[in-house]
Amino acid sequence: MRIGTGPLRKKRAARTSRILVTGGTGFLGSHIAFALLRAGYRVTVLSRSSKNLPARDRVAHLADWLGLEEEERRRLAVAEGDILDPGWAAAALEGPAGPGPVDEIVHCASNTSFAERKRAEVEAVNIDGLRNVLDFAARSGCFFFHDVSTAFVAGKRTGLCREEWVESGEFTNVYEETKARGEVLVRDVCRREGIRLNVCRPSIVYGDSRTGRTLRFNALYFPVKAAVFLRDIYLADIRERNGRKAAELGIRMMENRFLFMPIRIEVGREGGINLVPIDHCVDVFMAILEDSLDGGIYHIVNPRPTRIEDVVDHAKRLFRLDGIETCGPGAFDARPKNALETLYDATLDVYRPYMQDLRIFEIKNAAPVLESHGLVCPEFTYDVFARCMNYAVEAGWGARLLP
Amino acid sequence: MPRIDPDARATAAQCRHYAMCKIDYLATGLCPSGPEKHFVTYYPQGRMDLYRGLSEGQIPVTDALLDAADTCTLCGICDPQCHFITGMQPTAVMRALKGYVEDYRREKGEVVRTAEDEALRKLREIVGRDWASNDPAVLWTYADDPFPLAGPQMPRYVVLPGSRDDVAAVVGLANELGLPIAIRGNGGSVFGFVFTDGIVLDMNRMRKIEFDLENWCAAVEPGVTSFELQQEACRRGLRVNAAEPAATVCGNLVCTGTFSTWSNVYGTAADNFVDMEFVGRDGRVFRLNDKRAPNHFAFEHRGVPSPGICTKAFVKLHSATDDEEGLLVPFGGFDEAVRFARELGQRRIGLAVAVLGAHYVATFLSPDEDLAGKLKAALPEALGVEAMVFAVADRYGRDAIRKIAPAVIDSSLLRLLMLGLPKLVEPRWLDLVREYEGRARPFELLCRPDMRPVVEAVLQPSPETIAGAVPEALRPFYRDLYARPEMTDMVWLNMHRIVSARMSRRKHMFAFLVYVPPDRLDVVHEILDGFVRVAEAHGIDHDFGFLTPMDFGKRAILEYDYYLDHADPAEREKIARAMPELDPWLDELAARVPGVLSLKYVFSQGCSRKENFLYRV
Repeated sequence: MRIGTGPLRKKRAARTSRILVTGGTGFLGSHIAFALLRAGYRVTVLSRSSKNLPARDRVAHLADWLGLEEEERRRLAVAEGDILDPGWAAAALEGPAGPGPVDEIVHCASNTSFAERKRAEVEAVNIDGLRNVLDFAARSGCFFFHDVSTAFVAGKRTGLCREEWVESGEFTNVYEETKARGEVLVRDVCRREGIRLNVCRPSIVYGDSRTGRTLRFNALYFPVKAAVFLRDIYLADIRERNGRKAAELGIRMMENRFLFMPIRIEVGREGGINLVPIDHCVDVFMAILEDSLDGGIYHIVNPRPTRIEDVVDHAKRLFRLDGIETCGPGAFDARPKNALETLYDATLDVYRPYMQDLRIFEIKNAAPVLESHGLVCPEFTYDVFARCMNYAVEAGWGARLLP
Repeated sequence: MPRIDPDARATAAQCRHYAMCKIDYLATGLCPSGPEKHFVTYYPQGRMDLYRGLSEGQIPVTDALLDAADTCTLCGICDPQCHFITGMQPTAVMRALKGYVEDYRREKGEVVRTAEDEALRKLREIVGRDWASNDPAVLWTYADDPFPLAGPQMPRYVVLPGSRDDVAAVVGLANELGLPIAIRGNGGSVFGFVFTDGIVLDMNRMRKIEFDLENWCAAVEPGVTSFELQQEACRRGLRVNAAEPAATVCGNLVCTGTFSTWSNVYGTAADNFVDMEFVGRDGRVFRLNDKRAPNHFAFEHRGVPSPGICTKAFVKLHSATDDEEGLLVPFGGFDEAVRFARELGQRRIGLAVAVLGAHYVATFLSPDEDLAGKLKAALPEALGVEAMVFAVADRYGRDAIRKIAPAVIDSSLLRLLMLGLPKLVEPRWLDLVREYEGRARPFELLCRPDMRPVVEAVLQPSPETIAGAVPEALRPFYRDLYARPEMTDMVWLNMHRIVSARMSRRKHMFAFLVYVPPDRLDVVHEILDGFVRVAEAHGIDHDFGFLTPMDFGKRAILEYDYYLDHADPAEREKIARAMPELDPWLDELAARVPGVLSLKYVFSQGCSRKENFLYRV
């Protein structure tokens, strides 16, 4: 190992480590970077520039959104670079104007698309980009690598998924597959180079359970966003254009002022959706960082998956909708899909394996950490749902969030 | 001197010389003075030039200038006509011109009268007093165009012959006087070929079309535009392979051989006509099919002069069936689209066929530049469409296309998209589409017939919706316009080509056309990459235009476009610097790869057999 546990403990206690966070302007990366800064670490955020903004400005806007204190900002450095560029580190970190040696790397940069048609882009980031990060880790003084992966590297299976390496398997989508391949890459390089390694595997991460705030509006949010969009389209049709289009699909305003939209959502009879709020996910990540000096694999999951029926009920209640129902397999054989159901079915297509998830994620490694820090994953109640979705609406589902 | 309005001057300088104000393509009627006086000077295009000429001090106030200003009734027809294509509204310029003239008269400014010289007297003897001029204001409207590689060139005379015999006599007189002649068809030019310091012949008075249905052809005089011929053919349930709507049929046939998306089935060059009549450079009349005539069906791989002045073309007529419809086949990649278009050619499926990029699709469908910009971005980025294959096909062709294509935007969906375009690019909808992760691409979902009710609800397609995209003052006009079925009928639109004239809306377009072997995608990419490389090196706006298969998919014509603000000398300079890099590169490629040929070598050889330039044996 490049560093013994004693010196590591000392460095951590003195907060002298400089930690590089890749994907530092992403959802998880920004929250983790912020948590590290709040904990007193020196953090370098690696960020690409966007079409309109240089990396430094992007991070500054994020720091504002995250409410970073002045003192915390002083320990924050921004490195502009793209892990897809093999020379990213030389440009971003190793030049004379760079932020200095990197001691630990938290790798959050990831393409989270599930779509097979985006395979090339997903592989580019999750495999080639990762390789570039590992090349840097190998030649730098990095002594600890924290790989932010996903619980779904477990792939297509039911039952217990262990906190162990996944050597092979069948995967639901390109994201799962590349994250699993990535873990193996990370493991091999870290073993070879004597770099300590933690692999954190969160399940589906949504907004802050206490405030509802979030940066990303995909996964859990997307189907809700689609339903709200359709609601608004048909409400406008009813209010402004005599409701002709609404009537064609049996959409109507009910006496209780709820909009009736006949959408059946096919779900399995068992299983649920494993949802973890960002606040809990970051708390657990920080606890693992603190406790797991020898390294290990950790699931960051909700031990009580949410039934999809409950999510549907929450959405109907909050957005004053009726007519949206879950149904069992075969329901569409009896009565074919209407246009709304066709659209919704296509929308849910990639999320379906996560909506009726029968995987049970082992938390043998994570449990002691959770226990020692008194961390319990919040339940996905109506209040939490409402908080998150109200924030999403307020933020225009991201459109009004950041420049 | 009267004041020049800077806004009107800027608008006048942007006139693209597309001559769309000279054809009644929106059924609004024409500028009243134009069809009476025939000189381009009396159309909005000419008046735009007059105002620009005055503002630049290029022309004095003359009798003809006063007349051109006075005959403008400020009826406002030119606003929708011009806006539909360029986004500009010329009435403000017309008003400024009339205001200038009023002020000039009030200030008792001198009116320049150019005396009739001997040559003009003889020219007027031939064509009639009203149809030859040496008035500087008239000459100015025939002296310049947006072509960036040449400056203005004032002719000595502008002459409008009324018959073939007039043409022959003018040619004889010009030869006698040693004056060069340049021919203008509809008085519009964008390639700088129609300028001379001698005589400009404007063929605008020779406008006869005679249909010979038994011989499946129409005898067309040189002042007839493609739009007008197509319109007449259409009335008879027929069609022709037509050029850009304002281009004259004869001029286009001679110049480039007429190609369009219909060239997939109707071919190009000599495929388009049964015979042509010319007045040769010696003033003698000949027909191409005459055995004693010079062989203009052959092709020479170099710039050669035209056969003479075309005074009549016997244009081929084609039958149309009443079950033809237009459709678009979207693709996630350019190569897939080219392969598909070629396959349609190989399998003889469909009639008109073209591969279009996001730029052309967006520009053609949008009545407003801002809307076009949004659609152009949304097509690849949100909807996953990198290229589309446009096709017109009868019901059998459409059935075949549906069996081969992954998704099809049929004519009814296309109509919804056109009329609901402003809603299609609304950010909230696009955000949703962009984040859609399903197995099917977003456009495949959009194309599903069972999705149609939702698409209709989202897009709210109607003439009102699409009219919402244009300036408020023009909305009533656009609402009525888009209520007309032909405005969303892709067969009609493609035959009359009125929306493709929008490609110069953003800026003046400098088009490069190259014949290519479409089975050689490596070569196609080499050509595209070359145009991109040179454009980027010189800071020129650029975009892919279209690719149409020909001769059963063995060859294709590819267009790549550079865009420039022709009123900006710096932009003109960029093109001037780029050209020396493009020509040798394309020549080298043509020498190396059979089937590659820059259209510039076909210029003036449009009467050739296409086999003579598409193949090299």
